[in-house]
Amino acid sequence: MTLTSRIALPGILLAGLLSGCSSSVTLQALTIPSPLTEKIPVSVGLRMPANFHNFVHEEQVYGRDVWSIDLGSSHAALFTQLFKHMFRQLTVLEADDDPKLLNIDALIEPSVDGFEFSVPNQSKTDAFAVWIRYRLKVYDSGGTLVSNWPVSSYGKSQTASVSNSEALQRAAILAMRDAAALMIMKLDEVTQISSLADAPAPVAAPTLVPIPETNDEDDVQAVAVEGQDDETG
Amino acid sequence: MKQAEILTKAPILALLALTLTGCVTSRVEDAREGLTGISEGESVVIMAKSYHLGNETEEKYIKCIENALGRGSKGLRVIPHRQFVDSLFPWFEPRTAPAETKNLPQLMERPGVADSIARQGVRYIIWLDGDTERVAGGGSLSCAAGPGGGGCFGFAWWQNDADYNASVWDLEGLESAGTVSTDVSGTSFLPALVVPLPLIARTQSKACKSLATQLRSFIINEEAV
Repeated sequence: MTLTSRIALPGILLAGLLSGCSSSVTLQALTIPSPLTEKIPVSVGLRMPANFHNFVHEEQVYGRDVWSIDLGSSHAALFTQLFKHMFRQLTVLEADDDPKLLNIDALIEPSVDGFEFSVPNQSKTDAFAVWIRYRLKVYDSGGTLVSNWPVSSYGKSQTASVSNSEALQRAAILAMRDAAALMIMKLDEVTQISSLADAPAPVAAPTLVPIPETNDEDDVQAVAVEGQDDETG
Repeated sequence: MKQAEILTKAPILALLALTLTGCVTSRVEDAREGLTGISEGESVVIMAKSYHLGNETEEKYIKCIENALGRGSKGLRVIPHRQFVDSLFPWFEPRTAPAETKNLPQLMERPGVADSIARQGVRYIIWLDGDTERVAGGGSLSCAAGPGGGGCFGFAWWQNDADYNASVWDLEGLESAGTVSTDVSGTSFLPALVVPLPLIARTQSKACKSLATQLRSFIINEEAV
């Protein structure tokens, strides 16, 4: 055995052992079904943060396993597909697009306040669970923040008939579908976005003047805000 | 093989077959609230009650019931639950699914819901509730291996309970047709003298077969036929 192979072999074994302590899951592009709901008669613009296109979350479990979940562009796919179904017209803004130049009634800016998951070791069940806390900021055509709505969602999937990786993916998909269901049911009621339809004033650049949050019970759930750095991976 | 020889060996084979599985006891009962029946072209959907309500019914068990109900000459037409949930998005998501039959009229008034259900011919929604749990266990078993070979020695046992309840909703009358429940208890054994000999009680599988058989009979209403 040469010196190189004497060093390489234990190195490969060590690398194998170390890689055994981490698990990585990559989500395929999300597709949500067409919702059975009437469109809200509003023309909206959607501006998403950069991490919606490459969202990775890592979590250390009990100091043993490191779990990494790569959602890719699933957040972007969720909001684009959902709002296309929900509103009369949707315009997706790029980073350098100026909303003032667009003929829209409202601008929606979603973000992720928190992303967490639990693995069977932690919950003492055979299920993976995922929690996502989105935040939707809605601006009127004058650029004033009219609503700041935290959306908490939850998904759970058991490992009994599928692999751990598939169960975590399924839990993440269910959490995103849960958020979609909540937005379909409550978005107009909470944000009053339909009242912004055909507003006469042109859209100005959003001025970030926060208004007091609503008293919806979801506000209470979103008090514990996870650091943004964790979510961008 | 001569007839006498078969008669001699049959009890031994039967005894062996019995000892190679664990012990399982089961109970199935139903409570009917209304008349049932199903026509050609009508179908059923098997759903798990929401995990938002603390339900833990396994996906594997739902699929088992779907397969068992659809099998055989008296098999029912079963719509896969994920297909049904997608076709009615978002009204059968864990957060939004109706928890009681009194919510059905409001659900059917939502745009597209009644049409989608009619298009798929769904007559009954069967809501499953319950799970399989390990409730007891004991014994000890140790295995060792060396250059000359290896082996195990000891004895272990465990008991699983499978309790499931199925609520049958009739979408024709928008009312509950009744419930069917099963309670199966199984004890598995693992004796090992060099080689382990697993005697596994297939508790969940038994709970699936017994519930599916009773559900089919309940829906077809074999007593009335």
